[in-house]
Amino acid sequence: MNSVERIQAAANFILQSPPGEINDVLNDVRNIISDDDSLQDGVLPALQEYNLAQFITVEVPGTEHQSIVSEAARLPSPDGEEDRFLDPRSNMSFRFDHLSLEASDPQPVEMDADSEPFRAALESSTLNYLLAHYHDGVASVFSVAGSNKFFVQIVANKYNPSNYWSGRWRSEYIVSLDENKVDGKILANVHYYEQGNVQLATDHTLSLSLPPAVVTSSPASSAAKILALIEDEEGKYQSSLNDTYHEMGEKTFKGLRRALPMTRQKLDWDKVLGYKLGAELSASKGVFGSS
Amino acid sequence: MSDLVDSMLDLMRRLPPTRVEENVAALVGICPDYADDLLGSVDQPLQLRTDRATGREYLACDYNRDGESYRSPWSNEYDPPLDDGTTPTPKLRKMEITANEAFDTYREMYFEGGVSSVYLWDLDDGGFAGVVLLKKTMAPNTPSEPSGSWDSIHVFEAAERGRQAHYKLTSTIMLQLVTHKGENEAGEGKQQHAGSTRMEGSGKGKGEGWKKEGEVSLSGSMTRQTEQDWPLHDSSSHITNTGKMIEEMEIKMRNLLQEVYFGKTRDIVYDLRSMDDLAKARKQRELQKELVGFIKR
Repeated sequence: MNSVERIQAAANFILQSPPGEINDVLNDVRNIISDDDSLQDGVLPALQEYNLAQFITVEVPGTEHQSIVSEAARLPSPDGEEDRFLDPRSNMSFRFDHLSLEASDPQPVEMDADSEPFRAALESSTLNYLLAHYHDGVASVFSVAGSNKFFVQIVANKYNPSNYWSGRWRSEYIVSLDENKVDGKILANVHYYEQGNVQLATDHTLSLSLPPAVVTSSPASSAAKILALIEDEEGKYQSSLNDTYHEMGEKTFKGLRRALPMTRQKLDWDKVLGYKLGAELSASKGVFGSS
Repeated sequence: MSDLVDSMLDLMRRLPPTRVEENVAALVGICPDYADDLLGSVDQPLQLRTDRATGREYLACDYNRDGESYRSPWSNEYDPPLDDGTTPTPKLRKMEITANEAFDTYREMYFEGGVSSVYLWDLDDGGFAGVVLLKKTMAPNTPSEPSGSWDSIHVFEAAERGRQAHYKLTSTIMLQLVTHKGENEAGEGKQQHAGSTRMEGSGKGKGEGWKKEGEVSLSGSMTRQTEQDWPLHDSSSHITNTGKMIEEMEIKMRNLLQEVYFGKTRDIVYDLRSMDDLAKARKQRELQKELVGFIKR
């Protein structure tokens, strides 16, 4: 492999990092590539892609809440300038370091006057929903200027390296008021790695039509109804996940290997060898008998 | 440079098990000098091959590989053929044949299908080592049914000490379960997703089209080790001894896999998102506290 291919392979490893283990993966990759100079520049795009896709959270200086760093949070930047990200809850934009995962240089942002009332209502309903169903959740709600479209993003992380597990739940809903619909995506990832490496990866996409009455109500009541629909969908999804677990455990797992043989007893290994010998003997007897 | 191998192994412990083959190949590309270390210590899904002489299926892994060729336990032949391929000594080959028969019975009793292979080789110190491989895959009957695969790799070393033998066993089980689900109930003109099952009947009003699609994948591997002494009665004792050890280990590990796959990972999902309304539960607790305070007063 030439150095370009090596960096490409390294970037590919980084994109596969389990929840909360990006630094461990990065350390391993540094050791394996052992060329920090070309690695640092080479994998920066992969780190950025990973952070945006995984809904990495950050506390913007001066605020007391976490905000999601995602593609929807990215602000268009003039050529040559570094990307900035938006925390719509505090009306602040900030710079984000994709390696240290820190925010800096907060600046006030003027929010779009047309979409802000509905976005703020959606944010408030989302935060209520977050408290009701997520243990350590973070949510951000973004508006897309001039399109009547809103992004509701939710992420919940649990990292427990001392017990060798980590987990991440991500949900994203694109609320389109012009089209009366919500397109959603739910992703769950779990890594369990005590003397092993077991991973759960789920993805689920859905799309809902919004009844006209929901769209035409006041922002507050409309947002509350949309979140009620989302709550219902996520609840149904979680219980269907439970059914899938049950089916994989009862049907597939049991079908792959029995807990015990049909006899309900462990094998008698002396007999196993004896049976084989007996089978051979009777087979050879048969040969002798027929000749 | 064992540091480097450690980093590679740590990386493999973190990256998705579903992509182990692709990632091992990439690591070998980056560090070709460490290919043997890596291939010898990272377990990969067992490959199914067919013995050209007997037509019988066998399992291929790093332990029956010589160059680009794999040895079949049934005919003892390499494929593609090798003139100077490593084979066990005649005495060990005899034991290998019996072990293959015994573990084939074991496979039928526990897996009721699948394929098994046993490979033995001599060790420099006079003992011998071996690997017992078992693999079963289940294809779904319908697109929404789960598919699954189980791969067991039991590597052992045997050292004879008079009328006893000391065994070291390292067992890895790779288990993969995947469910693909698709549902669609939509207004006219909406396309159904490929591979999804259509849910008939409609309790939904006009224009309330909805569709859902998704995949659940539970995959990975777990490894455990044990060392035990067993008595030697005759030449077949090694097979009954390792047989009992492997059977015991697989029973233990099956329980462990069940706990981790269906218990632990599910609990973590519920640690992230709660089905019940947490806000209501919090209120209830506060109310209870108040009541307790009230009674105490």
